[in-house]
Amino acid sequence: MLGYFWSILDPLVMAGIYWFVFTVVFKRSVGEDPYIVFLLAALLPWMWFNGAISDCTRAFLRESKLIRSTRIPRTIWVNRLVLSKGIEFIAAIPVLILFAVFSGATINADAVFFPLAILIQAVLTAGVGLIVAPLVVFFRDLERAVKLILRFLFYASPIIYATSDLPKELHFWAAFNPLSGIFSLYRAAFFPGELDWFIVSVGAAMSVAFLGIGLLVFSRTERAVLKEI
Amino acid sequence: MSETVISLNDVGIRFRRNRRSRRSFKDLFASTRRRTRPGEFWALQNVSFSVQRGEAIGVVGRNGQGKSTLLKLVTGVVLPDEGTVNVIEGVAPLIEITGGFVDDLSVRDNVYLTAGLHGMTRKQIDSRFDDIIEFAEIADFIDTPYKHLSSGMKVRIAFAVISRLEEPIILVDEVLAVGDKAFREKCYRRIEELLAGGRTLFFVSHNERDLRRFCARGLYLDKGALVLDAPINEVLDRYNAEYGIKPA
Repeated sequence: MLGYFWSILDPLVMAGIYWFVFTVVFKRSVGEDPYIVFLLAALLPWMWFNGAISDCTRAFLRESKLIRSTRIPRTIWVNRLVLSKGIEFIAAIPVLILFAVFSGATINADAVFFPLAILIQAVLTAGVGLIVAPLVVFFRDLERAVKLILRFLFYASPIIYATSDLPKELHFWAAFNPLSGIFSLYRAAFFPGELDWFIVSVGAAMSVAFLGIGLLVFSRTERAVLKEI
Repeated sequence: MSETVISLNDVGIRFRRNRRSRRSFKDLFASTRRRTRPGEFWALQNVSFSVQRGEAIGVVGRNGQGKSTLLKLVTGVVLPDEGTVNVIEGVAPLIEITGGFVDDLSVRDNVYLTAGLHGMTRKQIDSRFDDIIEFAEIADFIDTPYKHLSSGMKVRIAFAVISRLEEPIILVDEVLAVGDKAFREKCYRRIEELLAGGRTLFFVSHNERDLRRFCARGLYLDKGALVLDAPINEVLDRYNAEYGIKPA
């Protein structure tokens, strides 16, 4: 119960800060109303992605003893992280609904795409995790690099803003960040205008590609990882 | 009854000698070629043998000649760089002194974790738990974190769990040497029971008496190669002739 509380608190505090900065301090020109729902609809799934990937950097190093003596399929050590953070996300959805109800946002029919967004995000997160986890074993510096990249990605993804708030010439390129499509699918449940099938399909294709590359990297490095840990 | 349960075909595995030697991205994606890169050595090469169900095999060799690596290959916790390893039945390994136990978890959690990873259900483990603890004689330390146990106690609980798994193949490395005499004898009696029950055993030891006691067949590893695969007495004689202390 306490663990659940902490997993919710982190995104809530973040959302609270951004909400304050962008609606009270600055005069907000991005996103949609109510802004807190707009924020949370992307911030909660971001926490899933961010948490799973940063845990993946230690997936092999932390459990090395256990991994060295068990022969279960090694992808489990990555997938369990993706799954546990995913469950935390799903458990946080009621909080999102609560905020939507109290701030007067309306939930529309596009909410049926929520499971699709979860699926695409699971594919993407597992794919990136399968790339990151084995490589960190060989290049320990990568752990810090990943943290930096994640922080960059937070601002490079439509979390505090929407893809449509970007300059026109960047729209096309933003689609190649798979998180753009995923977040637009989540947000469509409250803001139908956020749904852009071009961005979603490019994001889905990129996610599948990431999973493919991840499986390839993982199977190619598995031997060496087992020797190293 | 005499079915091949383990077969190794031309197996080789190499390790890096120097942890710091640079590894490039290109290296990771290069196909596994037969060539040895600088700073690497073959821990085992061209190893082929097969094992029938119910056999008891002793592995002999000096330190660093690939005995533990061989057991790890059979367990499937490292993968060969060349050749194939085929093991058609489940393996219960006692390879590292820690037996894959997690330091921060209590003894109780570790028992459930290890047995669970070997496919036992919670119910099955419940029914055996007391038996395992009694065998290890550590009833007072069930809720102690594993890292606070003495090394002798660690081996006790590890062996107690491994020998109670429902796996048809059992691998035991030298680790039992850490236990005291009475416990070692208890372990050996358990091993004999298991063998009588038709389990397959891999046993690494530097103690000739123990090897002769359990094993009918021996594998002699030297300089990364399987030098001799023969009845245990022949293997021990050859080993002694090459490396034994000559009677004055």
